[in-house]
Amino acid sequence: MSDMSENRPGWGLTATAFTVVAFLQLPVIVVVLAAFSTTSYLTIPPQGLTLAWFGKVLSDPTYLSAIRMSLILACGSTLISLVLGVAAAYALFRKVLPGSEAVTSFLMAPLVMPAVVVGVALLQFYSMTGLRGSLIGLLLAHVVITVPYVVRSALASLSGLDLAVEEAARVLGASGFEAFRLVTLPLIAPGLVAGALFSFITSLDNVPVTIFLISASQTTLPVLIFSSVEMGIDPSVAAVSTLLILATGIVLLLAERRFGFHRFV
Amino acid sequence: MMSRRQGLLLIAPLLLVLAGFFLVPVLMLLPTSFGVYEPGTGLIKGAWSLKNYSQIVSDDYYREVIWRTLGLGFSVTLICLLLSYPLAYLIARGPERWRVPLILLVIFPMLLNLVVRSFGWIALLANRGLINNLLMQLGVIGAPVKLLFNFVGLFIGLTHIYLPFMVLMLVAAIRNVPRDVESAAATLGSSRAHVFMAVTLPLSAPGILAGSILVFVLTISALVTPRMLGGPTYQVMATLIYDWPSGSALSFALTFMAVAIIWLSSRLTKRWAGMA
Repeated sequence: MSDMSENRPGWGLTATAFTVVAFLQLPVIVVVLAAFSTTSYLTIPPQGLTLAWFGKVLSDPTYLSAIRMSLILACGSTLISLVLGVAAAYALFRKVLPGSEAVTSFLMAPLVMPAVVVGVALLQFYSMTGLRGSLIGLLLAHVVITVPYVVRSALASLSGLDLAVEEAARVLGASGFEAFRLVTLPLIAPGLVAGALFSFITSLDNVPVTIFLISASQTTLPVLIFSSVEMGIDPSVAAVSTLLILATGIVLLLAERRFGFHRFV
Repeated sequence: MMSRRQGLLLIAPLLLVLAGFFLVPVLMLLPTSFGVYEPGTGLIKGAWSLKNYSQIVSDDYYREVIWRTLGLGFSVTLICLLLSYPLAYLIARGPERWRVPLILLVIFPMLLNLVVRSFGWIALLANRGLINNLLMQLGVIGAPVKLLFNFVGLFIGLTHIYLPFMVLMLVAAIRNVPRDVESAAATLGSSRAHVFMAVTLPLSAPGILAGSILVFVLTISALVTPRMLGGPTYQVMATLIYDWPSGSALSFALTFMAVAIIWLSSRLTKRWAGMA
């Protein structure tokens, strides 16, 4: 008995594992197939191929404005979360404040709270304060649900950092901010990109908070798909979903190529 | 060196945003949950009662929904654990060249929009969906089997949504098991199954617990998938909250369950860490 065969996973295990991986891709494949199918329901094999549903989506003002709104929210909230989150994480990392453990838990709390509860709480709060339907209200709601990801990845990247490098820059005459911008920031950048990506995806994905706070003209893409499904399966939903699948796949591959995204998950 | 004042200036903006748009709104929900509702007139000023909370325990429908939610939480967690372990083991201990592609295939559905994934399951599970069509074409069934708007649909959909989280937690846990200990047990004559049961499984237990807690809490809090696959008729706690936002007592009940489970598990983990 050699060491090699002892460590190699057996056939049964490998087969089970690959079945699970296939199960994970199953709905993705089905959505893509449905998007190109001429029938409104799916058959095996597909009845015919068409690009008509994509044309329908890309010329539909409802879809286009929902996509625009989703991107505005995702970009805006990620940007705000990055600035606020990295600043806060840096302060926590330098340990100049008391009770940093409790503060960190507070910053992570929106992750523990069921999203639908955050949505209900903000609905009541925004109705009272008149923020309901305002863009700034929506943006800040998305900051609440995305900032924990930025803080977490910033703290993780900072914890691997040697403070002496930044001190050296200070000794050589850099101001505190210069030392951070020129030394620390480039070192934690890959972790921050991962955190920003999570933040972006979380915002782009969100229904439970967004759906309570938007006005009719502010519908986002996931909210639109979520509500349209109650009317039945429409192949244009499959087409817009396929576009999202494509975008997600490209972003994941690029992120993996650039800086080994799988290490940050 | 950074002064305390500078640190405060850096952290204050985020603390203010979270206080104003998270803490205060959630706390303001608390008085509402003790409010008294009159059909037609709404919330009655000045009056308060425990009725909203007692109703959760006494009302048959609420009780059914809560048990259903917990039942889904337990069964989804269990099946995720069973399905994830072989895959996580293959990623952690299998051939090096498979590792990154497999991890990417696990991350990909996780990053994909939740509504898209749930939509995919509708296309699969509906009466005229792929699975029913296929089974009817093959002659296995004569009429469509109901796979949506019931436990089966939610169980399949939620398992798919939260499986990747479990896999990633288990990969980290299995990678933390020292290989030397496994080899030592094998050298001393343990069978592969015995090495697994006596070494790998117990040593990855903290990861199993962490992954299970995560999947359980995510499952009982989920809104989008239960709503899309369960419709307005097959309710869980989160969809009930969605349909009736003013019923904030249920919001606190759900939050309490999530927080209690996380708190309990962190206590357990600390005790385990103390024993090791």
